[in-house]
Amino acid sequence: MKYSSIYLSILTLASLLSMGCEYDNFEAPKSTLSGSIVYEGNPVSVRTGGTRLQLWEDGHALRTPMDVFIDHEGHFSASLFDGTYKLVTNGDAPWSPRNLDTVEVTVRGNTVVDIPVTPYFVLENESFTAAGTTLNAQFAIRRVVPNANVSRVALYVGHSILTDQGRFEHRVEMDAANIQLGQPLSMSTTLPASLANLDYVFVRVGVLSNLSGEYYYSDVQRVNLP
Amino acid sequence: MKTKLIIFLVAAALSVSSCKHDEWFDRPSKNLITDEQLWNDPVLITSLLANYYNRLPTMHGVFNTGGMTEMDDAMWSGHRDQNWRNDLHYGDDYGRYWDYGLIRDISVALEGIEQFGGSLTAAQKQLFNAELRFIRASVYFEMVKRMGGVPLVTTQLIYDFSGNPEPLQMPRAKEHEVYDFIFSETEAIKDHLAPNANSRTRANTVTALALQSRSMLYAASIAKYNNLMGAPISTPGGEVGIPASMASDYYQKSLTASRAIMANSNYGLFNANANKGENFYTMLNAKNNGEVIFAKDFQTGVKVHGFTYENIIKGSTEDNESSSALSPSLSFVESFDYLDGSVGTIRDRDQNGNHIVYANPADIFANKDGRLYGTVIYAGTTFKGRNTSIQAGVAVWQDGGYDLRTTSRLGDNYAADGGLWTGFDGPADNQQDVSNTGFYLRKMVSDAAGASARGISANNWWPWYRMGEIYLNAAEAAFELGETGAATTYINTLRERAGFPANSISNLTMDIIRKERRVELAFEDHRYFDLKRWRIAHLVWNGEESDRNAVVYGLYPYRVVRPGHPTNGQYIYQRIRPTRFRRARLFRMANYYASIDQNVLNNNPKIVRNPFN
Repeated sequence: MKYSSIYLSILTLASLLSMGCEYDNFEAPKSTLSGSIVYEGNPVSVRTGGTRLQLWEDGHALRTPMDVFIDHEGHFSASLFDGTYKLVTNGDAPWSPRNLDTVEVTVRGNTVVDIPVTPYFVLENESFTAAGTTLNAQFAIRRVVPNANVSRVALYVGHSILTDQGRFEHRVEMDAANIQLGQPLSMSTTLPASLANLDYVFVRVGVLSNLSGEYYYSDVQRVNLP
Repeated sequence: MKTKLIIFLVAAALSVSSCKHDEWFDRPSKNLITDEQLWNDPVLITSLLANYYNRLPTMHGVFNTGGMTEMDDAMWSGHRDQNWRNDLHYGDDYGRYWDYGLIRDISVALEGIEQFGGSLTAAQKQLFNAELRFIRASVYFEMVKRMGGVPLVTTQLIYDFSGNPEPLQMPRAKEHEVYDFIFSETEAIKDHLAPNANSRTRANTVTALALQSRSMLYAASIAKYNNLMGAPISTPGGEVGIPASMASDYYQKSLTASRAIMANSNYGLFNANANKGENFYTMLNAKNNGEVIFAKDFQTGVKVHGFTYENIIKGSTEDNESSSALSPSLSFVESFDYLDGSVGTIRDRDQNGNHIVYANPADIFANKDGRLYGTVIYAGTTFKGRNTSIQAGVAVWQDGGYDLRTTSRLGDNYAADGGLWTGFDGPADNQQDVSNTGFYLRKMVSDAAGASARGISANNWWPWYRMGEIYLNAAEAAFELGETGAATTYINTLRERAGFPANSISNLTMDIIRKERRVELAFEDHRYFDLKRWRIAHLVWNGEESDRNAVVYGLYPYRVVRPGHPTNGQYIYQRIRPTRFRRARLFRMANYYASIDQNVLNNNPKIVRNPFN
C-alpha cells in the first residue's frame, strides 16, 4: 500500500509533466511567404522599417494584422502556417495607392508572391564613383505617375548597407533648380572625415514626390574609397 | 411526530418575527449611495465633477516632463532609463486616445441629474449640465485632434441582452462633424456657465469660448492646409479630412470667440512687471486670474506635482535625486528674435568662422525677446536668487586655437589658473540629471521653497487656456481671413508684453505667427498639435541628422584661458550635438492620425481604419 501510493504519485507527476509538454509546445510554422515589391519586374527599394504590408487571416473570432516589413531592397518574407491570407498594401509608400489593395494568397509550403506597384518616380542609370574624398553620383529620374512632382532629391552615404532617410551618416540634397526629369543628373559631395577614412561606404539616391512621405531609393551600392 | 411539530413551530415563529421587523431590513445603506441620493445632492455632484475635471485629457500637458521631451523643443537629460525618449520612433499609435469610459461617465451623470435630480434647483441643474457638457466637448476635442472623426456618443449605450450588439455599434462621425459638435455644444452652454465667472478651475463662459477659439482654429487649419498637401490625408467617408470650403467659416468662428474673450474686462495679458523676462515667468508661476482662463490647480499638502523636482536647475535642487530632466534645444533658443527685430540666431562666430568672445556669460543672449529669459535658464542668469553656474569648461588658447577642456567633477577649479572649470550646473555631455544642451527650463518650474523636494513638491497651476494663446488664435484667424491689420495689432500687442517696442512687426506673415506660437506657448502642450494642423510636422521632424529642428542641439559656454591676452577670463560658445540625443525625429504621414486599437475595430465592424495603418 505504501509503495503503491509512491508509484501513484510518480505516475501522476509524470502524466502531468507530459501533459504540460503537449499543451505549450506548438510546432513552429514551416511555410514561408516571400516576394518582392516590383515595378516593371525590378524590386522597389524602400526605407528599412518604413513601408510595410499587412497579412490578415479570416476565420478567427478576433482579427489581428500581422505586419510584414519590406527590407531595403524591396523584399519581404514571413513564416506562416498553411492557409489563406489577405495581403494588404497600406501605409505610407513611394508608390501610388493600389486600386485593388488586397491580394488573396494561399500559402502551401514556400509561396512566392510579387506585388506590382506604380512608383511616383523611378531612378535609373545610377552610378557612383569616388575620387579623393569626393563622391560623385550620376542618375536619371523618370516620372511614372503623371500628376506627381518631385519635392526632394537626396544623396545618402552611410557606413552600413542600411542607409536611407532613417539612418545615414551623410546626406546632401539636390538644388531644386537642377532637378530635370528624364535628363542625366549628377551630384557630388565631399565626404566628412568620419567616412573618408573608411575603406568603403554605401551610397544610394532617394527621390521624394509631393504625394507621399516616403522616398523611392536606388539600390544601395558599395563604393570603394581610394 | 414530535420533531415535525418542533420544526413547524420554529418555522412559524421565524416567519412571524420576520414579518414584524420588516423595517429592520429596510435601513439606508451605509456603504452605498443611491441614484436618488447622489443626483439630488449638490455637494456630491460637485465632488463628482472634481473627479471629471481631474480626468480632462491632455497629450503632454499637466506637467508631463517626459512627453515634453519627446515632441517639444527639448531633449531628455534625466535618468538614463528613460533615454529612449531621445531615441524615439513615433509608432502608428503615437498619441492614441480613445476614452469612451469618461464619455460614458459623463452620460450617466447627465442622465442621472435629469432623471433623479428632482430637488435640485433649475439653476443648479443648468450649471451642472453645462459643466459636464464642457468636459465632454473637451474630451471629444482631444479625440478628434489625435484620431480624426470618432463616434459621437451622447447618451448611455445600454445592452439589451438580445444577443445582437449591433444597435450599440456606432460608426465614426466625419472629422468636421466632431468639430461642429464641439461648436454647437459650447454655443449652447456658454451662457449657462456664467455663475462660475470668478472661477479659474471650473468652466465658465470664457472657458467655453476659449475651447471654441482653439478648436475652431484647428478645424479651420486642417481644412485649409490638409488640402494644400500634394496628397491630402483623408478617408472616403470623411472620417479624416475636412473640405477646404469650410475653412473660412471655421476661422470666422474662432475669431469671433477670441474677440469675445478679449472684450471681457476681467481678462487681459499679464503685464505687471517692468522686467519683461521676469514678467513672463511670473505670469504662470503666480496664480493670476487675468492671464489664465482655465487652470488645473494644485495645493501643498493636498495635491501637488513633481515638475519642479524633475526640472529644477541642478545647483538649486533641494532633493538628492533627479533634477534637470528636460534640456531645451538651441534651435528653440534661436527662435526668439532680438529686440531690434533681427532674427534670433545666436552670434557665436563671426563671418570668418572665428569664435566671438564675450565679456560675460549672458552677453551673447543680450537684447533678446524677454520670453527667452522667462522660459529658459541660460548662462549668466539667476534662479531663486542664486547666480547660476553654467559653464561647460575652459577654452585654453594653444597654438593659435582653442583647446576645449572639461571635467566631469562639476564645480571643480581649473588647476592652471584656479578659476572655475566646469560649472556646478554643467552643462555636461552624456551625463544624467544635468543639462546636456547648456539650457535649463525656467517656465513653470516653481521657485517656491521646497518645491523641488519630493516631501513638499510644487503647487503652481497648469494653464489649460490663457490670454497669450487667445491673442495668437485671434491673430492667426484674422490673418487667414485677410484682416492683416487686425492680426498685426494682436501680434504686436503680444510682442510688446515680451519687451519689443510698439509696432515691432509691420509686414506680418504666417511664418511670424508660427514662430510666435512656438516661443509664447512652448511646453504648454501646443507644439505637436500646431505642427500637425499646419501639416508641416513631417517637414519639421524630417528625420535628418543635420536638421536643427529634428535634432536637439546645444550651446556650451567656455571660459577662455589665455594669460596676458585681453580675452583671458572671457567666454566663447561652442555648438554641440548632445551624445544622448540618439535619433533625429522622424514624423511620418501615418502619425498625423494615430491608429485605432485593433480591439476597437474587432468589437465594432463599422469603424473604419485611419489612413496609412
